[in-house]
Amino acid sequence: MTHPSSEQLSEYLDGVLDPEAEREVVGHLAGCAECATLLAELRRVLVRAQALEDLPPREDLWPGVAAAIGAAPSRRWRVSVPVPLLLAAGVALMLLSGAAVAIALRQQTPASPVAAQPGSLGQAPAVAASAPDDARGYDAAVRALTRELDQNAGRLDTATVRIVNQKLGMIDRAIAEAELALTADPANNYLHGHLAQTRLRKLDLLRRAAAIGRAVS
Amino acid sequence: MTTTSTGLSALRTSDTLAADADAVDAAMAASGDAHAFERLYRRHVNRIHTLVRRMLGEEVDDVTQDVLIRAWQKLGSFRGESAFGTWLHRLAVNVILNHRASRSRFRRRFLEEPESGLEAPARSTQPAVQVDFEAAMERLPDGARQIFVLHDVEGYRHEEIAGMLGINAGTSKSQLHYARMALRKHLT
Repeated sequence: MTHPSSEQLSEYLDGVLDPEAEREVVGHLAGCAECATLLAELRRVLVRAQALEDLPPREDLWPGVAAAIGAAPSRRWRVSVPVPLLLAAGVALMLLSGAAVAIALRQQTPASPVAAQPGSLGQAPAVAASAPDDARGYDAAVRALTRELDQNAGRLDTATVRIVNQKLGMIDRAIAEAELALTADPANNYLHGHLAQTRLRKLDLLRRAAAIGRAVS
Repeated sequence: MTTTSTGLSALRTSDTLAADADAVDAAMAASGDAHAFERLYRRHVNRIHTLVRRMLGEEVDDVTQDVLIRAWQKLGSFRGESAFGTWLHRLAVNVILNHRASRSRFRRRFLEEPESGLEAPARSTQPAVQVDFEAAMERLPDGARQIFVLHDVEGYRHEEIAGMLGINAGTSKSQLHYARMALRKHLT
């Protein structure tokens, strides 16, 4: 019996043999334990390679990168904070943020904010009115930033606009899904925290995107 | 913690959001935001550092930093047509290969037949040597190791590898085969 070469078995494993050679290998493997064993070993190597995990560098390389690109090195602390506390902090941050923006808008905007145009760079947010004042502050902040983005959209790179729109759409869907989940499970603290974090993420994205717009205008 | 099935659906969307954060941070970093670039660094440094270590095995920190500095310089060419991680990975491979190509030792070893370190490929079953799989990879000859990493670990096709390394696809296949035959003895 003529065995296929080990190289042929390796190529069979990768599915790169031509159809005729593949048929011959398949037929041979059915009756040859030696070749079947070798093929199994080669497959284990491939599986092991695909399961290898990435490891971090022994020391943080960011300071060197930051120095080379002219960025100020960041100060980083290692603090262990329980997840519930983080969620509570997220909610508190959202409320504070919304309230601060609401105050700022009252001082700066004589008339009521103009709603964003559907389908434009920023889309109207989906926000539950569980805390009316804070929700109004959040809405106002989102509308103000969306309006600014719309005004600067023409100056932004089209790829940036597309990416920001994609991201906003995904965040809005996440907000809507979290709100829907809360209607079915209103006492779920995790979902409340998740919703708050997602809203904050939208606000953060709008702020950052608006900053890009300001930078190029 | 309890979540409803609908709640889990929301979490799946969040996973996608995390991946998409790359695209936004890349756009911001391209406009000069170093904080956005640091976020990209934090998310990708482990993968890049590991790739450099597996393919080069030396000067790993320096080359990793070089990859990231070049990424910062080239961010303007990232158009979002592929995932940022894919773009960065390909850039890293190019930097690594250029680094290697600048050394005559690499070229000499790559063009030579696979050398010692592991036994020559053979069908016969040898007693398994109990060494770590990663350590066994490091002992492969440069050419076989790089092709094994690019093909089996990173998922590139032989045609792509051939283009990167300036070799033909047949050479890539035979080097990969050599590496697999050598490494199979080191699986416990």
